[in-house]
Amino acid sequence: MAPRSVSAGSSRTRAGPSKAAPKASTKAAAPAAAAPANTRSRKRAAEASPEVEEDDEAFAVGGELELSDEGEDDEDEEDEDEEAFPELDSGSEDELEGDDEQEVDGDDENDMGDSSDEEILNDEDDGDESGYNTSDIEAMYEDDDDDTPDSSVLGSPSSGTRELDVDEKLSRMIARNTVKPDDSLGAEGQISQAKKSHGKLVPSKLVPGGYRREYDEIEAGYGSESSTEDNPNTIGNIPIEWYDDMPHIGYDVDGRKIFRPAKGDELDKFLANTTTLDAWTSAEDRLMQKNVVLSDKELDIIRRIVQAENPDADFDPYQPTIEWFTGEGQERIMPLSAAPEPKRRFVPSKWEHAKVMKIVKAIREGRITPGKPTAKKPTVYGIWSESDQPHQEHAMYMPAPQLPPPKTAESYNPPAEYVPTAEEKAEWEEMDKEDRKTDFLPAKYDALRLVPGYKNLVQERFERCLDLYLAPRTRRVKLNIDPESLIPKLPAPRELRPFPTTSCVQYRHPGDTRVRSVSLSPKGDWLASGSEDGVVRVWDVATGREVWRWNLKGGPVQHVAWSPNADECLLAALVEHRVAILAPLALVAPAVAAATLTHANTGFAASAATTKMGAGSETKGVEAIKWVRPTELARERGELVYVDVPGTPKQVTWHRKGDYFSTVATEAANKSVLIHQLGKHATQCPFKKTNGAVQRVAFHPSKPWFFAATQRYVRLYDLAAQKLVRTFMTGLKWISSLDVHPGGDNIIVGSYDKKLAWFDMDVGNKPYKTLRYHSRALRSVVFHPKLPLFASASDDGTIHIFHATVYDDLNMNPLIVPLKILRGHRITDTLGVLDVRWHPEKPWLVSSGADGECRLWCS
Amino acid sequence: MAKIKRRGESGAAKNYTTRNQALKKLQVSLSDFRRLCILKGIYPREPLHKKRANKGSSAPASFYYHKDIQYLLHEPLLQKFREHKAFAKKLARAVGRQEWGLAKNLEDSKPVTRLDHIVKERYPTFTLALQDLADPLNLVHLFSTLPTNPIPGKTLVPTEVIAECGRLINEWKVWAIRTHSLRKVFLGIKGVYYEAEVPGHGGDLIKVRWLEGYEFQQHVPTDVDFRILLTFLELYRTMISFVLYKLYTEENLVYPPPLDVEQDGRGETVGAFRLVENKATGASAETGVSKKAVKRAIAGIAASGAATVEDEEDVDMEDSADADEDFVERPSKAADEDVAGSAPLPTYTSLLASGPSSSKQALLFSPYTFYLSRETSSRTWEFVIRALGGKVVTSLAAPTPGSGPHADTITHVLIDRPMTDERRREMEAGRKWTWVQPQWVADCVNQRKVLGTGEYAPGQLLPPHLSPWDGEGEVERPWLGIDGEPAVVEEEEDEDVEVDAEVASEDEDEEDEDEDKENAPEPAAFPPALLAAAQKPADKALLHAAELEAEANGTSHTAFRAQLKEATKAHGKAATKAKATAKATGKADEDLRKIMMSNKKAKLYEKMKYGNAERQAEKEKLESRRKEIEKMARKAARSGKK
Repeated sequence: MAPRSVSAGSSRTRAGPSKAAPKASTKAAAPAAAAPANTRSRKRAAEASPEVEEDDEAFAVGGELELSDEGEDDEDEEDEDEEAFPELDSGSEDELEGDDEQEVDGDDENDMGDSSDEEILNDEDDGDESGYNTSDIEAMYEDDDDDTPDSSVLGSPSSGTRELDVDEKLSRMIARNTVKPDDSLGAEGQISQAKKSHGKLVPSKLVPGGYRREYDEIEAGYGSESSTEDNPNTIGNIPIEWYDDMPHIGYDVDGRKIFRPAKGDELDKFLANTTTLDAWTSAEDRLMQKNVVLSDKELDIIRRIVQAENPDADFDPYQPTIEWFTGEGQERIMPLSAAPEPKRRFVPSKWEHAKVMKIVKAIREGRITPGKPTAKKPTVYGIWSESDQPHQEHAMYMPAPQLPPPKTAESYNPPAEYVPTAEEKAEWEEMDKEDRKTDFLPAKYDALRLVPGYKNLVQERFERCLDLYLAPRTRRVKLNIDPESLIPKLPAPRELRPFPTTSCVQYRHPGDTRVRSVSLSPKGDWLASGSEDGVVRVWDVATGREVWRWNLKGGPVQHVAWSPNADECLLAALVEHRVAILAPLALVAPAVAAATLTHANTGFAASAATTKMGAGSETKGVEAIKWVRPTELARERGELVYVDVPGTPKQVTWHRKGDYFSTVATEAANKSVLIHQLGKHATQCPFKKTNGAVQRVAFHPSKPWFFAATQRYVRLYDLAAQKLVRTFMTGLKWISSLDVHPGGDNIIVGSYDKKLAWFDMDVGNKPYKTLRYHSRALRSVVFHPKLPLFASASDDGTIHIFHATVYDDLNMNPLIVPLKILRGHRITDTLGVLDVRWHPEKPWLVSSGADGECRLWCS
Repeated sequence: MAKIKRRGESGAAKNYTTRNQALKKLQVSLSDFRRLCILKGIYPREPLHKKRANKGSSAPASFYYHKDIQYLLHEPLLQKFREHKAFAKKLARAVGRQEWGLAKNLEDSKPVTRLDHIVKERYPTFTLALQDLADPLNLVHLFSTLPTNPIPGKTLVPTEVIAECGRLINEWKVWAIRTHSLRKVFLGIKGVYYEAEVPGHGGDLIKVRWLEGYEFQQHVPTDVDFRILLTFLELYRTMISFVLYKLYTEENLVYPPPLDVEQDGRGETVGAFRLVENKATGASAETGVSKKAVKRAIAGIAASGAATVEDEEDVDMEDSADADEDFVERPSKAADEDVAGSAPLPTYTSLLASGPSSSKQALLFSPYTFYLSRETSSRTWEFVIRALGGKVVTSLAAPTPGSGPHADTITHVLIDRPMTDERRREMEAGRKWTWVQPQWVADCVNQRKVLGTGEYAPGQLLPPHLSPWDGEGEVERPWLGIDGEPAVVEEEEDEDVEVDAEVASEDEDEEDEDEDKENAPEPAAFPPALLAAAQKPADKALLHAAELEAEANGTSHTAFRAQLKEATKAHGKAATKAKATAKATGKADEDLRKIMMSNKKAKLYEKMKYGNAERQAEKEKLESRRKEIEKMARKAARSGKK
């Protein structure tokens, strides 16, 4: 049974070097290996014992078995083999194997002489095959076919029996059918190795009288995995710590343990480092766990790598270029393509030949004359006919404008008035070329022969050409209308009488002090004016006589306003930090005076205090506002109540019933707008905060609404509901004045940027009309309370009177007709007319100016 | 729901492309694009909203109509440009490699650019071509006067081009002479302007005006790009030659007319061309004559029975140009030859040709023969005179008017230098010649009648030369009227006023005081016709009526004159006063109503007012200056008399 063990052994040794080979392949290869092994064994049979024949028989039987059922039986057989010698395998397996191998090694070395050549040849063949035709399986098999007879010839010249031939065929057939093309290479390699496994039989030490086959030590070939590395440790790339507890550090290629080399302690290491010269050129070999001294060659490689050179010392970067395709002798050693030159490369084209022959024939027959000029289209011919149609009219078709015809000014002999004077000539010369009205200067010559050549002719033609292709064109409609037709048709002013036209009465203030404000009493008989000298004057409207005066001693009087209640006689005047309620009691009827006094003083009576906060819920935040009772003397003069307010009040406006009045102050933050109630001596601050400085306020004539104009917007608040109703976008930069139409649906806004905006509240938030006719800032705009008139006063010293009919019909726009410009106020320090008020009944107007005058304008 | 409009997909953004975009789309260089634009007549546009057209950017850009560029994509010229580019590369390569044979072959098969399809495309009808003919003629005239030997670094115009330009203008002039279609001549300081009437598509007459510079060396500025000019010229030459072909064939003439090299060499301009009748097509033309031509011919017969004789001569004269070389005034001699030679056909064709010439103006100079003195430009005057039916003897033919063989036939001598009467008489040698300066010819043409020659005698200060194109809403000069009468009347009145002014100034103060009293009774005092005459002093009929009335009333003539003067003065004052008050009130009204104008209208109004005022000021300035000059002249005359 030794041969069986041998076969097992051989298979094991074969598995040694090709560890990575899959098990399946080895199994598959085993029967295939069996067949060539037979040839070897026969070769050996020449020198060895009769047992060899048994061996052969056994193999022959095996072969037959294999024929009946291929793979499984083979495996079974192997298993049986192993089981047959359990002791053998388990006993001292290592030593035994080691011995076996050593013996085999030795034997193989002996045999190397005759087998090495063949092996090398085979290897080369294999290499060639894999290099060129790896995919060509057929070729490979053919090679195999070639190989086996070769080896049989070389290995066993005496072989050639019939049985073996059958055996070979069978094994080859099996190999062909079972091996995958890719695996076949490895299988072939094993087969070939199995062929040359020249183990030699040595007497076994364990089994008396037994033999065992010893094989050559394996020389790692080029194809084997370990061929490139001469590392004796075969543990592979595993953590070396795994062997820390072992005495050995791995196994060599033959499976023998490699023992850990002796390692000195740290001191030894240090000593070694210091004493040995080549310590610094040594590196630790991780697998072998010892220091290896690097050779000069290796050091050189390291040096080259560090210097970023090619590590190969033999590499010459400057070797001469060989021009493989174009150099001298056209040395093209390697073919770029193995494909043979196609036939068409060296056979002339039949098609081309036919073509050429056609031309040749045509030339011979005279149909083609070489070098003959082609028939030319005539340079000119009739391109226009009677049936031509012009361009379709299109908006984008813009023919270039024609050059204008020359006028008499261009004549060589124009009438004398065309000849420019010396100044005109100089002016023309000085002007830029683009600004000149004409491109030439007219000149007069007595005779045609004296006319010089025109210098700019080429330039002018060139510019015309540039205009034609470079100048952007557009269609421009030339308006041929009478400019007067652009002026709107409006009714004549004389149809819209009455309106103020002339200045009737003048009220002169001493010292020409500026009169900031003016107001007419509700019946229209008294005129109050507030001037910058701090005096409020009351004038008789009809005569222009000053009848009363209060000196408020609080700086300039900012504003004055009569209460609209005709039963009383109350006047509000503003000075710095104070609102004064005045009444010229001596001038009025006793009943009126009494009513006035009662109205003004009930507040004091109710609170019985000289100073009092406003009543109601709005007390918070109005602490600074005080209702003050003037001194006795002042009261006798008619100064009834003072209201101390923060900031400088600029405007006061009365509610139509005459109890409430509102003031606007500057520098008072959220307390700039205040609504006072005279009857209760109460003050409300309607806005917690205002966005933007409020310029003007106004009460709506019929609803509980309140207008507040900031610099740019007019806001309308509902006082009852306490909410914002609307915001009007005026489009103005700085609003100066505001008035509400007595109907309540229209407002006018004047601005310092010379504009007046008319809002129709039914239409929208934008002005219905914005007019710009004053040359300076507007100071005051005001509607007549009864008549369809309004007026605007400006710093240009004029007052414009307009007619303004507001229709009840919502579809009709208000009719605005400018009526008259009233001139008379002088402009002093760039200030003209500062304030205008209408007479409550008549079409009269009073105005106050910076020139220290008030004027009454009558129709 | 309405379709959502996206930005940049409609309107201006879609309608316009910038130049750079166009270049990218067409894949041409800027210079090729320029050539394309010039030849195809594509021009940049001014979009209404530049920002929208530029897709939101306000960077400066020139915009082209998108469809213009789109159409350029299929332009055969573009293909030709590319072919030429390839050709140039190949040629340069062949020359660089010194492969002369290849270079020659390439040169032979050079791609040729033809512009005829562009002419047809840009001017689909003949009328459109004629309407655009002014610019081509101007440029071709300019190029014909450029120096033929190119100034290095300045003009790079090939000599052939200049020669061709000269040929084209001469052919154009020959046609104008033949058809007598010249209408206006104006001697400006830039050159001579001509206007001809050319029958266009459907027979409507198109006025073509062109400018011919004076015969001097042209000043060529350095910043003129001749490549642009030459591109324009290329198109214009093609276009003019097609126009001429059409005009010549309509006249049943061969185009191009054969050039008599010998004559040309001697310096002849229009005389060097021989007009050849298109004999072959003559027969077919007889059957295929358009209705209009027949009508024209009939009209020609009816209108000018006598004129036809001269026309025949005129038509045929060119045929026999080679018959006598020394005598340029060919008609007379040529006439008998041709009449004798081909009697029946010429009458018919000449009738056809005489259509436009049948008008009175075309035959203005037909009875006359002009001798052109050597300092006058024969290029201009030979053309003008012959186009108006006159005959011309140039200084080429005879160095002096008396020296030539045809001295006896000369009626007018065109001379531009002062010459004493003695010398003139000496030269006339008993013959009767009229000596005139060239301006006379131009003025005659413009006024369509033969003017008196008294003012135009050599050495005399000429009357002003006016543009025939004045009076198209421009500054009017009634005082320079042709008949001169209104001018005289006005002057008289002026004098009257002047005389009166001195007298009136003393009385004015008194009058002013009792104006109101006087004004009321006075009108009653004058008879009605007198009042009417006073109100309209220029109206002669009224004046006449007033005189008759005065006669009937029995007032003497002196009394009548005095009354008239008084009435005129009174009326004038009343009128001025009324005007002043009206102005004052009107002005105020106007001012106020303008307040209610919208901003846009107000701006437009101001602009119009400004323009009108400018024009008025210009007019008034000229007027006042004229008066001033006249006053000075009168003063000088008066002082001269004293």
